[in-house]
Amino acid sequence: MENTIKVERAILNITQDELAKKIGVSRQTINSIEANRYVPSTVLALKLSELFNKPVNDFFKLSAED
Amino acid sequence: MDTDKIMDCERKRLNKITRFRLPNQFITIGLLIALASILMMFVRAFAMDGETVWLKLLLQKTLLIGMLVMSLSKDKIEDEMTISLRAQSYAIAFIVGVIYALVMPYVEYGVSNVVHSGGEAYKDLGDFQVLLFMLMIQLMFYHTLKRYR
Repeated sequence: MENTIKVERAILNITQDELAKKIGVSRQTINSIEANRYVPSTVLALKLSELFNKPVNDFFKLSAED
Repeated sequence: MDTDKIMDCERKRLNKITRFRLPNQFITIGLLIALASILMMFVRAFAMDGETVWLKLLLQKTLLIGMLVMSLSKDKIEDEMTISLRAQSYAIAFIVGVIYALVMPYVEYGVSNVVHSGGEAYKDLGDFQVLLFMLMIQLMFYHTLKRYR
């Protein structure tokens, strides 16, 4: 799974810490998601979708390994 | 009450048990209990005379309780990733613990035979040794996984 959360975060001009606080997780979790080390749950993906005001498919993409 | 309602009730109860965690402050309490137990073990071994086997057994129990409290305590920020890492650490601790319990008695037996000619008789590990090892592995792996997340 690949994602463009870093880009979406840059568009909103918020830090990892601010994004983490908005969706109720730790900064390290956001860092791990951005680095593709952790695939978030559907709940977290929908929270991000609501915050970015975009469908989940816009910033999460299946990779060749998936 | 129909079967579906009974199953739903059981499922909710099971989820409540599996999600049980102590508040974050308990990690300090657990650490203090564990450290005090280790300190008292040294005091008992080197500075106490007489029949103190009961104290040794009591301290083993308090050490395990302290480590269990640490293991069950929530993080400052508990999210789905920490829950997932904790689950991974419990799985690793269980597997490594079983391997340890199976292999270690033979290692001890082999070493004792090499060191002392004739050696000691084969004996299984005690519950304290296995539980302490499993709790140590769980705590160690959890903190390592968190550090490298």
